[in-house]
Amino acid sequence: MIFQVYNRNLNVGNIRVIGVSSSSILLVGDAETIQLASTFDTPAESLIIGPFVPLSPE
Amino acid sequence: MLQRTSIVDHIRINTLSFSSIFEIGDVSYIQGFSRAIANQRQKPLFRSDEGSFRRYPIFREPIPLPSIDEAVTMEVTQLNPGIKVHDIDVLGASSSSIVQLGNTKKIFMESRIKHIRHVTSNGNPQNSDVNS
Repeated sequence: MIFQVYNRNLNVGNIRVIGVSSSSILLVGDAETIQLASTFDTPAESLIIGPFVPLSPE
Repeated sequence: MLQRTSIVDHIRINTLSFSSIFEIGDVSYIQGFSRAIANQRQKPLFRSDEGSFRRYPIFREPIPLPSIDEAVTMEVTQLNPGIKVHDIDVLGASSSSIVQLGNTKKIFMESRIKHIRHVTSNGNPQNSDVNS
């Protein structure tokens, strides 16, 4: 397959971003390949109900 | 393939934290990695030595990635070899994030986050040792 791209005028006024976080990227430019991977574990699976016990240290 | 040039008149970044990078110019390879344990407790009792990445499989499990071996030939014609942006305003970049003005060949970014909510059950008085 031949993928043909014609880059014409690209003119942007304002970009307003609150946050770029957790291995994210804000890119003004070109990239050949971008690979992003993310895992996220949140309640209900990570909900602890019980007395205060500290997490095991490193 | 002629590269494009990024032309940014004005950029303002308030905060860069936790291994974040603001890069002006071209790069051939970017790799970012961040991991975090975010623990929320009903009562704000924390110890300084808490938390182990080794304990949770989320920090070990492999993340399958599609291989970059597609039989695609990309032909790019730069009719206007400039990317113009007048103004960029970023409040914050955090946890191995990148803000880049310029070109990159390869980017690989990985993030692993474990959220924990810790609540003490109110029904059982034995479990209410955190409640004062």
